[in-house]
Amino acid sequence: MSALGGPAQTSGVQSPTGMGLIVSIILIIVALALAFFLVQMAGLLALVGIIIGGVLVGFGVHFVPVGGAPAAMGQAPGIATGVAMLAAGAGLAGLFGGAWAAPLGFPLALAGGAIGGGLLMAITCTMVNVVYIFGMGIPAASGKVDKDPITGDTFPEYKSQGTEGHGLPFISWVGGVVGGALGGLGGTLIYLELLNVYQAQMPALFGASVEQIAPIAVSLAGVFAIGMFLMNAVLAAYNITGTIEGPHDPKFKRFPRAIIAAAAASAVAGIFAIGLLELLGVF
Amino acid sequence: MAVKIEVGAGGVPHNQILIYGLVGSIILIYLTYLNEVTNTEYFAFFGGLACVAALVWGADTIKHLCSYGLGTGVPSAGMIALGSGVIAALVGATTGVFAPIVAIIVAAIIGAICGLIANHVVRMDIPVMVVSLTELAVVGAISVLGLIAMVGGTFNFMDLITGTTVVLGFTVQSYGTSVIGGSIVALIFMLAAIAIQHAFNACLGPNEMQDRTLMLAAECGFLSMIPIAVISFAFIAFVPALISLLVSLIGWFYTYMRYIELSKRDAYAWLDAQPILEPKGGA
Repeated sequence: MSALGGPAQTSGVQSPTGMGLIVSIILIIVALALAFFLVQMAGLLALVGIIIGGVLVGFGVHFVPVGGAPAAMGQAPGIATGVAMLAAGAGLAGLFGGAWAAPLGFPLALAGGAIGGGLLMAITCTMVNVVYIFGMGIPAASGKVDKDPITGDTFPEYKSQGTEGHGLPFISWVGGVVGGALGGLGGTLIYLELLNVYQAQMPALFGASVEQIAPIAVSLAGVFAIGMFLMNAVLAAYNITGTIEGPHDPKFKRFPRAIIAAAAASAVAGIFAIGLLELLGVF
Repeated sequence: MAVKIEVGAGGVPHNQILIYGLVGSIILIYLTYLNEVTNTEYFAFFGGLACVAALVWGADTIKHLCSYGLGTGVPSAGMIALGSGVIAALVGATTGVFAPIVAIIVAAIIGAICGLIANHVVRMDIPVMVVSLTELAVVGAISVLGLIAMVGGTFNFMDLITGTTVVLGFTVQSYGTSVIGGSIVALIFMLAAIAIQHAFNACLGPNEMQDRTLMLAAECGFLSMIPIAVISFAFIAFVPALISLLVSLIGWFYTYMRYIELSKRDAYAWLDAQPILEPKGGA
């Protein structure tokens, strides 16, 4: 048994099938209706927030320059690891930042999440280039475009023969920071929405104050946010099939598919997370 | 760039492993319910064994899924498995004695939807995608629920969110010192996610043998059980936690020695009996 099927390696973007689109739209509508039915308007708004958060995560992953194994050998541009690892790093850093800032209010918490994710990617991208340039002795050159869209630096003179480029050009660095910020923002949004739902429901359910219930609400919201973050990140990774250089890469144009996928997946996972406490005590 | 991942043929059929893994893990997870029947905590370690049984099944599923070049690396499959599994496991935990069954149903729903989205929206077009992601989500849910039952001695949500702490000689109920309130679930998430993906990630390539891969999966499962057994000293009585630790250590040692034995067998077979064949007419 070997790799016989696999994703179609065509140059153009295959649009989603009609069935896929219809199923996604139905799932989102059903989830929204269930949220309204279970937790009324607050639940509906929370699920909308979760879907927006999931979409931000799925969209943000497309900005991050993921190089994979070829990048580790200096044969392709990007950070030398997989999407799941990078997204987990940026997302968790963003989530820590956002959760720390949660008591300071909604806008500050979102900003904290975005800065946390963006900062982690900025440090990662900088250190990746330090290792590439001073450790491996290779210049940064993209293989997909001839000119850096921001700085105007040209690449073909610096690109080694037989490689797809190497190092981390400035546009990829910017893409990484933007992607980390969007991912951190999305993850924090999911966390805050779930935290609000649990903090509203739990005190009445367990007969305790909001302060007493805080460890459970924070822990559950955090774990669910991580779970949904990774689901969306992996679906986005499947969308770009492995490696991407950043926003200038032709693969970036595939992002509408990931947005639909992330919205439907977040809606389904989100309705289970919002309705978590509804089954309690039924059996 | 399609990466060809070679998988050894033969071995036990996947459906047989699926049935053994599913039925075995459900029986093992229900054996932890003896804790509540007999009002002790000695049966907590069965939760960890359920996790090991599920992980062996999950490693075989990942082997099937990743033999189609996903392009994103094997770890992403483990991340999406646990991302959807952790939500299902916690939703299931709220239903008392039906927890494992409800968790499996919820996980199957989330996994099937993720598979549909991956095939029809993101357009992976992999024939086994829907089945594999469904199986992986179920494996993730059982692993999380099993390890939760092992660390807390129960899979009942109300018992998992309340812990006791001794303040100045008085025993006080507190939410912060519980399995969920203490965020042990986040740790379980990562321990299971690493265990599920490592086996195939480490063994893939030419001469991959099913028995060796699955033995490594069991070894990773027992390795994840060890820290959980250590943590369980904080939540269940001393003797049951000690039993859990001994079971994990003995299981890990046995599977590790077996794995090394199988690795030596395969290395020998590869080096001496099957020389690397040069293509005819020179490379």
